[in-house]
Amino acid sequence: MYSLRIIRAKDLTKFYGQTVGVNEISFEVDKGELFGFLGPNGAGKTTTIRLLLDLLRPTSGLIKIFGENIKTNSLEIRKRIGYLPGEFSAYHHLTGYEFLRLLSKLRNDSFDPGLELFDRFELSQKDLYKKIKELSHGTLQKLGIIQSLMHQPELLILDEPTTGLDPLMKEVFYELMLEKQQNGTTVFFSSHNLDEVEKLCERVAIIRKGEIVGLEYVSTLKAKAGQNIEIQLKEPMEKLELPNATLIDNNENTYRFRVTGKWPPVLKKLSELPVAEISITRPDLEDLFMDYYREKTQQ
Amino acid sequence: MSYYKLIWKSNLGFTIFGMIFITFFQFLILYLVTTFDTQAILVSVLKQMPPPMRAFLDQSFFSLLTFNGAAAFGFNHPLVLALLAIIAISIPVRHISREIENGTLEMLLSHPFSRKRLVLKLWTSSVFILGIIILVSFFGSIAAIEIFHELSNEVFIKILIIAFNLWLLFILIMSYTLFIASVSRGGGFSGSLSAMITFIFYLLFFLGELWVVMKPTLPFNIFNYFQPQKIMLGQADYWRDGGVLLATGAIMLIITLFKFQRRDIP
Repeated sequence: MYSLRIIRAKDLTKFYGQTVGVNEISFEVDKGELFGFLGPNGAGKTTTIRLLLDLLRPTSGLIKIFGENIKTNSLEIRKRIGYLPGEFSAYHHLTGYEFLRLLSKLRNDSFDPGLELFDRFELSQKDLYKKIKELSHGTLQKLGIIQSLMHQPELLILDEPTTGLDPLMKEVFYELMLEKQQNGTTVFFSSHNLDEVEKLCERVAIIRKGEIVGLEYVSTLKAKAGQNIEIQLKEPMEKLELPNATLIDNNENTYRFRVTGKWPPVLKKLSELPVAEISITRPDLEDLFMDYYREKTQQ
Repeated sequence: MSYYKLIWKSNLGFTIFGMIFITFFQFLILYLVTTFDTQAILVSVLKQMPPPMRAFLDQSFFSLLTFNGAAAFGFNHPLVLALLAIIAISIPVRHISREIENGTLEMLLSHPFSRKRLVLKLWTSSVFILGIIILVSFFGSIAAIEIFHELSNEVFIKILIIAFNLWLLFILIMSYTLFIASVSRGGGFSGSLSAMITFIFYLLFFLGELWVVMKPTLPFNIFNYFQPQKIMLGQADYWRDGGVLLATGAIMLIITLFKFQRRDIP
């Protein structure tokens, strides 16, 4: 249903002079979805996010958020969005409280100094009354996450949100994201941390050199991807090939294959080999991501 | 905390320094004028100078080193102008260029805070900060005249006009800096460019006053519309001067609003 579509980007293109930021990308994100935007640095993730927020003006294409054109209804749309930039920075001469109060004021909201989020992210009163320049990178990032969440936005746009957080705080963040999703908040977040995307997201877009090279449900991606098999042979072989499988990696006696077809021919071939050890695993998102990259580079 | 308060807090140190410096400078000049016979000393120095230089300086400074003239001279001293120029340039550079560079502007504009409101609030805050520095300096000058000499209604009004004229000049300098900051990529470039433009205007103004070939450039020079000596002598058309400065400042603001609306952040 169209009314449930929170983000709609169509043929979005951004050129910086002659350089391509993003080129004709299209995607849609539905209400309550946790959508991952994956790609290495410089792939176009931040450009896309800035286009969604109307910070960058697109060369061509259309963006609709909450069914409204960002170009014409930017202010109304931004009232309903929480945003965390990739490199979050705040005014160094202000305290954490003052900074949050400033942002609340920009939204015409009253600031609640007893936010539950402070406890969840273990941000003490002492931290909040310190000048921002005195805060550690991790504490600053917590402040960034809190400012994006404190007004209960309907859409969260987060650019590399867990950068600088310790593992414990990352878990708190993941929990919070899942809670938000259950409450109907839509989350669009970019990352190059595939573990967290795998943990949180239902659907991902993979961006490379400004173009979306994959847009799939994580489960579909994984189902398509088959399984990895690692074989250690007792003696090296000049060439090893397996049916229904592609060689990913070879290091002396150890071979890694991706099996995407039926297993019986593979097992039959394996029974003929001098196998010392064997292990079968599901490929993680990193493997899939690398597959997409390899595939597109070869093309 | 509002955006106005943020700007005020960010520039408070410089504002207080500016107020104290200019007021102290005015007191110092007026104290010196009452202590020494500066006019006699300077007239003898003047006599040793080449005629064009003498004609220029005679008109602009030394003949005015009467007590009241010195009060006007304090508002036109290169040190005072340089300090006010630094303040007028640094506010837009800090809140546009530097904030683009360090990401805080991106943070602000990701909120329901329009670019137009940001520019207007920044402009009005800068106008207020420059105004308060000049206002305090004005009262400092008035107090100094009253303490060391005698304050008449006529001098009060003339010093007020000079202070107002000075304020308009620096509103214009701040406005074109805001324009440069709003179209440039960020960093110190906009500050350097604006400072260079201001310095070139200042230099050309002196050349225009000294050198007949350069005289036609004067109507296009911002410093031509701030001449405290002429105000003191009752020779200035301060409505015209103020009007030109204000209109040019307003035009710069309108262009800035238009350009900033269309630019990419960052």
